[in-house]
This record gives sequence, C-alpha cells and structure tokens, in this order.
Amino acid sequence: MTTETAPADWITLPGGEMLAWSDLPQDRLANGGPLAALAARLVPPGARVLVAGPHDPALLDHLGHAEVTCLLRSHPDAVALAHRAARVVVGGPAGLPDDETYDVVIAAAGLDPVESVEGARLGWDAVLARLVAAVRPGGALLLRVDNPLGLHRLVGTTPWYARRDDSAWAIGGVLDRAHPANRDQLRERLSVAGLLPATCWAAYPDVSTPTALLDADHLDRDAGSGLFDAVLHGACAEGFTSATVLQDPARLAVDALHAGRAADLAPGWLTLAHRPADPTGPSTPTADRDLPVALVQTGRPGIGVLEVLHGPSGWRWGLIPTNDARTPAVAPFASREAAYRDADALSGPVPSGRLLRTLLLDAALRRDLTTVRALLHGYAGWLADQADTDGRIAGAAALAGTDNVVFDGERYAVLDPSWRAAAALPADVVLARGLWRFAAGLLTGGYAHPWSSTLDVAGLTVVLGGLAGHDLDRATVGEAVEAEAAITAALHGLDAGGTVDLATELHAVAPTDPPVGAHSYQQLREAWLRQREELTRLAALTAWTEELLTSRERALRRAEATIGLLSGSLSYRVGRLAITPARLAKRGARAAKRRAVAVLAPKQEEQQ
Amino acid sequence: MHHANHFYGHAHVLARYAGLGDRHPPRINGYVQHGWNIGDGLAPGHPYAERTPSLLWSEQTRRRAWSVGRRNVVVIGAPFSYLLAMRPEDPPAEDREGTIWYPFHGWEGQHVKGDHRKLIALIRDTEPGPVTVCLYWHEYRMRNVRRLYERAGFRVICHGYRGHWWKDTDPEFLDRQLTELRRHRRVASNRLTSAIFYGIAAGCEPAVYGDPMILSNEDPTFGGTARIRRQWPQLHGTTVDLTTAVEIARAELGTGHRCTPAELRELLGWANLQEEEEDRDD
Repeated sequence: MTTETAPADWITLPGGEMLAWSDLPQDRLANGGPLAALAARLVPPGARVLVAGPHDPALLDHLGHAEVTCLLRSHPDAVALAHRAARVVVGGPAGLPDDETYDVVIAAAGLDPVESVEGARLGWDAVLARLVAAVRPGGALLLRVDNPLGLHRLVGTTPWYARRDDSAWAIGGVLDRAHPANRDQLRERLSVAGLLPATCWAAYPDVSTPTALLDADHLDRDAGSGLFDAVLHGACAEGFTSATVLQDPARLAVDALHAGRAADLAPGWLTLAHRPADPTGPSTPTADRDLPVALVQTGRPGIGVLEVLHGPSGWRWGLIPTNDARTPAVAPFASREAAYRDADALSGPVPSGRLLRTLLLDAALRRDLTTVRALLHGYAGWLADQADTDGRIAGAAALAGTDNVVFDGERYAVLDPSWRAAAALPADVVLARGLWRFAAGLLTGGYAHPWSSTLDVAGLTVVLGGLAGHDLDRATVGEAVEAEAAITAALHGLDAGGTVDLATELHAVAPTDPPVGAHSYQQLREAWLRQREELTRLAALTAWTEELLTSRERALRRAEATIGLLSGSLSYRVGRLAITPARLAKRGARAAKRRAVAVLAPKQEEQQ
Repeated sequence: MHHANHFYGHAHVLARYAGLGDRHPPRINGYVQHGWNIGDGLAPGHPYAERTPSLLWSEQTRRRAWSVGRRNVVVIGAPFSYLLAMRPEDPPAEDREGTIWYPFHGWEGQHVKGDHRKLIALIRDTEPGPVTVCLYWHEYRMRNVRRLYERAGFRVICHGYRGHWWKDTDPEFLDRQLTELRRHRRVASNRLTSAIFYGIAAGCEPAVYGDPMILSNEDPTFGGTARIRRQWPQLHGTTVDLTTAVEIARAELGTGHRCTPAELRELLGWANLQEEEEDRDD
C-alpha cells in the first residue's frame, strides 16, 4: 500500500479518496446532540478511537479526552476535520492500517458512507469485518444501521426506491440482502463477525441527526411508558416540522410504542457490540448497565442532552449541559420572559405512568366520557394542589399540560420539570391552557371525539373544564391562549411583534384547520373533509330554516289577516274608543316615570 | 330552535340551569331528546335538519343513534336531571304517601287502544295507598276519561301542556312533575316511560304493570313495547328491586353526564348570544 502524506501531517491518503465530495451533515444538532453525548460516554479517557465515516464535527469535540483517528472518504471533509483528530485517513476502509486496533470504533453514520466510490466495492459484511478487525479484543463498536421499514419511509412522500440525488449511486432497501434489515438480523451479523451485541438504541426521528436515542429493549418492554410516549411524540413532531409527509409521524411513532413496536419502526438503530477480550485480559467491558436508557435533546430552548439513567429506585434524570453558544440558556428571572428552562431541575426520578394526553385521547376515541371525566377531575385536582394560597401556580406545574404530565393510576406528576413559568399563573388559567392545548390537538388532529362539531376550540376547552369540574368561562380561555402565546414566544425567542402575531394565530385556530406543524396529506385531507361536513351541515340547516321561515311567514300572514278582520269590526272600534282615555293616561304615567328616573339616576351614580 | 326543544319546558329548565334566568330560552343549536326513547333519541315523524347535533340523555342512546346513521350525537343527560340539580332537596320519607300513576299516553295524534276500567281495577288491587293519576293533557281534557279515574276515587292531575309549535309550552311542566313525584312513595305506569325514570330519580319506588295499551298506529321500528319488556324486564312488575332501578335510571337519564352551566352553554350554542337574543322576547 502506498501512502501519501497530505499538506497537513495528520491527513493520510492511502488511495480511494473522493476529492469533490462531502458527506458532512448539513443539519446539525447543537453540541452534537444525543449521539455525541453517547459517544463521549462510551469512550474512556485516553482511549484510542476510530471514527469511521462522516460525523458531526461536534462529536469529535466530545472526544477530546481520547486519541481519535478518523476514516473519511471525502478529502474536503478530512481537511475540515483534521484539526479535531489526531489522524485522518482519507479513502475507503481498505486504507486503514492493518496493524492498528482501537479501543472503540464508532461508525455512527452507518457502513455505506465508509466505502468510497473509488476502488472495488466491499459490501456491508466486508466493511463490518474490516472495522471489527480494527477493534482490539475487549474493545467496542458503535454501529448505525438504517431501518428499511422505518418510520421515515412510512411517512415519506417520496418512495425510498425513487431517489435520484448525488448520494444515490447505490440505494439500499429491503431488497438488499447484504444489509441487515431488522434487529434480529443485525444481532446475527454481529455475532457472525465475532462481536457480542450489547445495547441497541432506536434513533428517532431521523437516523442521521437523532434527537432521541431510546434503549430498544426498554421500548419493547415499556409500551406504556409516559416518558417514551412524550419523547417519541416530541421528537417526531419537531423532526418533521417543515416537511410534507403522508401521515403524522408523531402519531405513528406513539402508536408503534403502544403496540410494542417503536424499536422496530425506528428510522435506524445505534447498536453497541463488544469484541470478546482475551480471557486473561483485564479490560472486559462490564459497564453496559450504566448506559442511559434514553438520550434526548428537547427544545427550544435547548439545554443540552437529557439522559435517563437507571437508579436504585427506577429511572432518574440526568443532564449533559450544552456548551453551544448558539443556544444560550435563558436566564431565569433575568428577563420578563414568561417561561424558561431550568437545567438544574433535571436530577430527580423520572415519574412513571402513562402520558395524560394519551389517556385522554384514548378515552375520547372510545367515547368514554366517564374516564375523561375521572382523568380531568384528577388532573384539575392535582393542579389545584400545586397552587399557593393566592390560587396561583408557579414553576414546572404552571406549564404542566397533558403532554408533560404522567398518571400512574393514582398520582399525577410533571414528567420533565425543566420547563418552568417565570411568574406564577392563576390556577384556572393553567388548567385552561392545558385543556386548550389538548382541545386544539384533538380537533385539528382530526380525532373522533364524543362532542358535537359545532364546538370551536375555546368551546371544547370550556366543555373539558366542565368535565374536570371547573366552570371555566371564555374569558379565562382567552387568558390561557394569551399565556400560551407568551410562553411559546419566550421558549422560541420571539420578539413582541412575533408574540402578538402568535396570539392572533392561536385565537384563530379552528376545528376545521389542519394541525400546526408538518403538512401531512392524511391530516390535510381530514381537515378538508371536516370543512365539507361543516358546509353540508350548514346547508342543511339553512334549507331547514328557510322552510321553517316560510311556514312561520304563512302563520304570520294568517294572524295579520285575523287582526285586520277583527280591527275592522264594530265591537273592536267601540272597545278601542272605550279604552282610549286609559291608554293616554298610561302613556302620561310612563313619561313621568322616565323623567323621574332621569332625575334620580345621576344622584345614584354620585353616591356610588 | 326546533319546536320539540320546547316540549315540557325542557329548554326553560336548561336555560335556568345555564344561568340565563327565567327568560325565554335562546335557540338551541341542536335537538334535545325530549323523552325517554328506545330509538335514536329523536321523535319519529318530526322534521330534522341533517347533521344538526342531537343532544341525548344517555350513552346507550348515543350508541344506538350512531348505529342508525346519526352523527354529531352528544350525551348531555336528561333535562330532568338538571332540574334535580337545581332542586336537590328530597323530602323526608314520612312526607311521601301513596302512588302517582301514569296511564300510558300517546300524544295528540295517536290513539290509545285499551280499557281504562280494567286498568283502574288493577290499580286498586295493587296499590297499597292513595293513588294520584296523572293524565296526559289531551286525556285530561277528555271528560269521560278523567271521570273514569275520578269516580274510582283517585286524585286526577295533569302536569300541564307540553306545547306545540312553540305555543303554549308550560315552562313549569317539569317542575310541577317533580313536585308531584316527591309527594308520592311510589311511581307506576302501564309502560316503562320517562315518568318512571323521573320518579325513580325523584326517590320513588317504581312499578310497571297492567295492559300497556298499544297505540293504534304504533311505530314498530325500534321494537315497541315488546322490546322494552325484553330489554328491561327488571323494571317490570308491581314491585321492582330499587337498587337496580336506581342504577338503570341513572344510566338512562344520563345523570353522570350532567354538564356544568358553562359546559351546557357551549354545547347548546348559548356561549355567544347576540344582544337581541338576550333580550326577553316574550
């Protein structure tokens, strides 16, 4: 093998480099996101690490405590990353020095981009074999595998087999037998390659820049977990905001969770596998149980990567704070913002139970008003317990909507306590805000529900308040919408004008609108159907009213004819003559009364 | 507003509960079920605008209405349960006496086939205490029918006129019915009807016995009297298990679905009343 040294000493060019190509991800998460956090956790200080394939430069920044070698096919990428690594090998996997092994090999972009367009194609298994050979006995491999039947493909408007972009010189899919297509096949391939498969994380909403890495075994087992529910929903709702999709990815992910299939539907997996150590070797890894169950980046504003770790009494929160200048943490109480995130709050236990939104949606779909009533009663009661003596709620409970509250059958609890209101809000506004958000999601999401189509979002909020045992009025709902706008504006960093526009938009949300966020064909069609249904209802009502009006007009004409007939009669005229003095007297009395009232009224006002 | 919403002063009761006072009730954006019903909650034969919400008494009626093609069906509970919420104080048991008996009636357009004399004899043999017979308005005005019951020694009353085409609705109808029910220990009829459920809810022991007096033109769509006897056998007989009856009445009147005033205002379309609508119009 010939090796050419590039201008920078630490770039090695063993052949096969791509000179006019870049793989570096365009969309990057603050601080490298959960993937960088996971990589940092897996790499012990001083370890020798091979990062194979293109990765977010922030991931390399997280590995400052290790000696990193990068394997890249793109020369421009190598130049861009060179100063972040001890060495960069540019070319295909064949360019790796045969005699070098590493404590940890990271291939978190998958095996496909490890191969160059130049030279002979090795295929998935051969690339894996090459990387496995680079793992020292007792070392570990972190590998990404894309799911050919993942959520991203189920919601995508473009079929996977129709890609024509530059990177599609080869397209992998379910037809490709070289790729493992599911977790069982992946485990088998790893075993054949001589590795011991360990933890596998499902990557959502997108395998190249996942904002949520969730332990796949736990996802299979804990189908009712409110944490997973909220994380999957949040990740998929945020991850597709600007995309056009076939169906709501958040709904699909949460449905998959409840069916015990969220790991199977993940867009991809990150799996950790160990190369068995020499039996006499001292460094056999045993620390997998300390690895996080979940690594999640939520925002805005981002505060770093939230970890869920095993604790002696269940799961507990952890946080890897951000050091990214692009997302400055909002300083609590330093401004007049309505809400902020408190990184320090993420240290306690993660409350167990199911997500309140899911419980409510389920009961609404089943038209189980008794359950809706019980859940909302409990929620409202729990919120009331959080209020101070003035009836105001502060801190995390003030923002506790149905999408951040879990219920374990007995108790309600805030799931992620880092979302906090800067100033205490009246308890009924907090309740109304939670219910309004739920009502808006229910109606615009096109969910079937047990209420009439004539209710608008504020109306349904009042109805939900009634079911919770609180007689909310529309003014309170209006305040709640204003609070929602202020809170969202604070969390998204909107200016005053933006906040006003947002409030106007929120007030105008109608049941026949599609949901805010991703444009899903399914939901757009449902919104159109609702509009059509409403038009049909109104047309039928108009026709009925017209008919009724005609019949009432006919009745009126009959009555007028009768009156005309009677008022022309002799007895009517005599009677009218007889009561005229009385009528005049009554008119005079009324005028006198009016005058008296007019005289007295200002005096009464003065007294008040 | 659909004129059936005014029947028995239902709209007036709902308006009072919703905090609108004794004013004339505003138009309801939907049809309120106006009687206990084994069909879709709407009275057959009345013209209804398609897709306008049906505001029904019970969850069972909602399911049934949906199954026969109705949509926009919402359970709000019976107006009578709203009246109970406004007048919750049940009298002590010792203040109750005798039986209030509702001979089954059709409405004005229907003609009841049956023998009032046989029914009177049966009531005399069955009822332990004094009997008040409550006749439907058009039977009450039929002197011969009224006389039959009066001569039997029964007190004969009428709760009022349910109204027709917005005219002559007695807004006190339900109130009067509740007052009468609370005077009696038992409520009975020859058919399972709204009055029996109202009676149970008002604290009476129910009984359903005697010739059900089939209507000459009874609509068999939903199975008629025979189905009622099949589906609710536990409520038929001269004595009925009270606990079971109370449970069934609760479900059929949708007592658990009673809305709060603000909730009701939204569901009836009374949340954003126009000013002229808020004015008293009669």
